Amino acid sequence: MKLPWPLYLAWKQLFPSQRKISFFSLLAIVGVALGVNVMIVVIAFMQGFQEKFKSDIIDAQGHARMIPVNPQGRSMDVLSSLGEKDEIIGISSYVQGQLLLQNRDYNSIPFAIGLEPDSCSEVLPLNEFLKQGHSVMDSHDAVDLTPSPTTDALEDEVVFISLEVANRLGVRPAAILQLLDENKTGLMDGEDGRIEVRRLDPFISSGEWILEILGSNRIMIREVISNFETVRKIRDGVIDLGYGNPVFEIKKGSKPFLPGMIFRYQCFRSSTIEVYSPSMIEKAKSDEMSPPYEVRVGGIIEVPWQGFHSEVVLGTARFMQVMKNQRDSADGYYLKFSDELARDEVKLASICKQLEGIWSDNWVVIPWFVENAWFFELLQFEEYLMILIMIPIGLVAAFAIAIALMTSVMRKIREIGLLVAMGAGQISVGFIFCLQGLIIGTLGAFLGCGLAIVFIHYRDQLMSFIVEQIAGEDGQVGVSQFYDFYSLKVNYPWESPASLINFLSFATFAIMVSTVAGLLPAWRAARLNPADALRSE
Amino acid sequence: MHYGVSESKESFVLLTEGLRKSFSFGNSKIEVLHSVDLTLKKSESLSIRGDSGCGKSTLLNLLARLELADSGSVYWEGKKLNASEKPSTHEISKRASFLGVIYQSYYLIPELTVLENVLLPNRFLDRVDSTQRQRAMDLLEKMGVLDKQNQIPGKLSGGERQRVAIARAMINYPEVILADEPTGNLDERTGGEVMDLLLQSCVEEETSLILVTHNPKFARATSRSSVLQDGTLNEV
Ligand SMILES: Nc1ncnc2c1ncn2[C@@H]1O[C@H](COP(=O)(O)OP(=O)(O)OP(=O)(O)O)[C@@H](O)[C@H]1O
Ligand SMILES: [Mg+2]
Repeated sequence: MKLPWPLYLAWKQLFPSQRKISFFSLLAIVGVALGVNVMIVVIAFMQGFQEKFKSDIIDAQGHARMIPVNPQGRSMDVLSSLGEKDEIIGISSYVQGQLLLQNRDYNSIPFAIGLEPDSCSEVLPLNEFLKQGHSVMDSHDAVDLTPSPTTDALEDEVVFISLEVANRLGVRPAAILQLLDENKTGLMDGEDGRIEVRRLDPFISSGEWILEILGSNRIMIREVISNFETVRKIRDGVIDLGYGNPVFEIKKGSKPFLPGMIFRYQCFRSSTIEVYSPSMIEKAKSDEMSPPYEVRVGGIIEVPWQGFHSEVVLGTARFMQVMKNQRDSADGYYLKFSDELARDEVKLASICKQLEGIWSDNWVVIPWFVENAWFFELLQFEEYLMILIMIPIGLVAAFAIAIALMTSVMRKIREIGLLVAMGAGQISVGFIFCLQGLIIGTLGAFLGCGLAIVFIHYRDQLMSFIVEQIAGEDGQVGVSQFYDFYSLKVNYPWESPASLINFLSFATFAIMVSTVAGLLPAWRAARLNPADALRSE
Repeated sequence: MHYGVSESKESFVLLTEGLRKSFSFGNSKIEVLHSVDLTLKKSESLSIRGDSGCGKSTLLNLLARLELADSGSVYWEGKKLNASEKPSTHEISKRASFLGVIYQSYYLIPELTVLENVLLPNRFLDRVDSTQRQRAMDLLEKMGVLDKQNQIPGKLSGGERQRVAIARAMINYPEVILADEPTGNLDERTGGEVMDLLLQSCVEEETSLILVTHNPKFARATSRSSVLQDGTLNEV
């Protein structure tokens, strides 16, 4: 195939024979590339944040929430028809409301959600939230061995609260520390045998536990305050003394346990909270004082999604029903679908619509993205704003290219006349300049995409470098608290369609803009009178 | 300079009838060409002399259809073209194979090597291949600049550049070469050498030549000579 000659000349003017590249082309291409790179990277990061928020949000509130259109419409029979739906892989009902929590003089009025202990972890990653909220006490002579609580601990007298509520009330869940005082066996190096705590239920009482190795297979367990004492076999591995006591787990190391070894543990009971509900006020009005309900703090939860109620208490559905004086009915259901379906917003929306149809629109089914639509609109707005800000940057590049090509037309005016005299069509001569814009745009776009991929690849190194320069070495921690650059998943174009679209659209934008920039010089060149051009100085 | 009754217009490669051209600036108008009739047969060479500013370059531009006349016609190989109308696309595409042009300034494309410059008119006809490449090398050899084929024009002397320009004008086996003071920028001796090469190649390739020159010696070297004066062309 023969290269059309305008393309040939356009290429040669950018990359002249006997020289690798003209200075102008290099500047122009690098300019376009940098612009494309910046635009792609900014949007890729924004998409990364969006993705992160999205996955946090999807997890935080279930994939969809089903609520009755009027409160009288709620009845239990929806559950059976929901269960028949193949798409739904988890259902759990909830009861919600507002409660007043009190610990001594401290009060909090968090949003309260009652969950089904058996099924709530199917729809909400509560164990994950508990793990996030679990904090470890720091001490030089003790080690916090408290295991992260799980939803297994959830029962009618136990609640999980958010960190804000815990701080406001000054309460904490149960904890257990291993004391590392002298003469006692501490945590030795990794090879030694250890005795850890497998479970610590919310009803543990405070106390001091001493575990002493008696022989090769015998261990004595003693609680100092209650003076309880028993001997168990080491070989059993787990020492479960029943509810209300810590469950110890013996982890053998490569060195054997020796008789006389002593392990000492300090146990702290979980705080109790007094709970008042609006229904109690109703009773109080009719002079029926009812005592506050007492619950234990089973764990602290932290939901990664900031839009979630920051002050929240989670209890059992039954607890909430009692609190609200509302028997055997749910305020709604959390639904869970497959991850794939949950992320496919179009499909999920249509399924939700379909579900609504089953109960002749007596229920609404709200998918996660509708529930948090305000937030996604905000993110979208931010992204559009960014694009809007960046488009002028692209146009600046276009102007630069247009000016450079225009100068080139002026400089080459006699050459243009000669080309026509030698038999070139004038439109084709114009094409030379338009094609130069196209070539610059295309090469710049490719280079820019390449740069963007490199940038995304080394984003962690780049970010930590930048943050370190600005905030100093200590600043890293502070910055990453708010902007989670390090764990941010930024997709390469081959990983997600959104990223591909991002790359393609900015590349296309650059190519189009540079080509358009070449149009004016091209038009100028095509309109030249060849005789005048030949005569010009 | 009139063709006989027996000679039809088809027997001329290039012919004009009543070419008129005037330029106006503001409200003054100068008539540069006042009814120019010119004939040129195949293999013929015609020199045109005349005072500076008498319209020689203008005439060549009209012949090449790069400029519009006020009235009159130009015949390319017997085909009548209205000189006062814009050239048709057919004419434009024909220009590359019909005409070769050489100017006082050499106008080589600075980004292309010597060889690529010579082959450029060929690209307009979309026929660059190994035979054409060979033809370009032959021409460069004939012009004595084959060793410069991969140089860029910026590194050549004026005489060398004009030799390259001649090779470029000849690459497509044009019917007519229009040369506008091709030795104007060269010293006497180099000019003589270049002119010899031009005339000799035109004879060898049976190409017609219109040579605009101030040098009477060169003007005599062509098969016919003419003078442009007061807007008309007179054979001498
Ligand atoms: N585009 C134009 N506008 C106005 N006047 C023009 C234009 N082109 C040429 N002329 C005038 O026409 C006249 C003839 O110009 P031309 O270039 O043909 O002269 P020439 O015979 O080639 O002169 P020289 O020997 O110096 O090259 C000149 O007086 C010039 O000023
Ligand atoms: Mg002239």
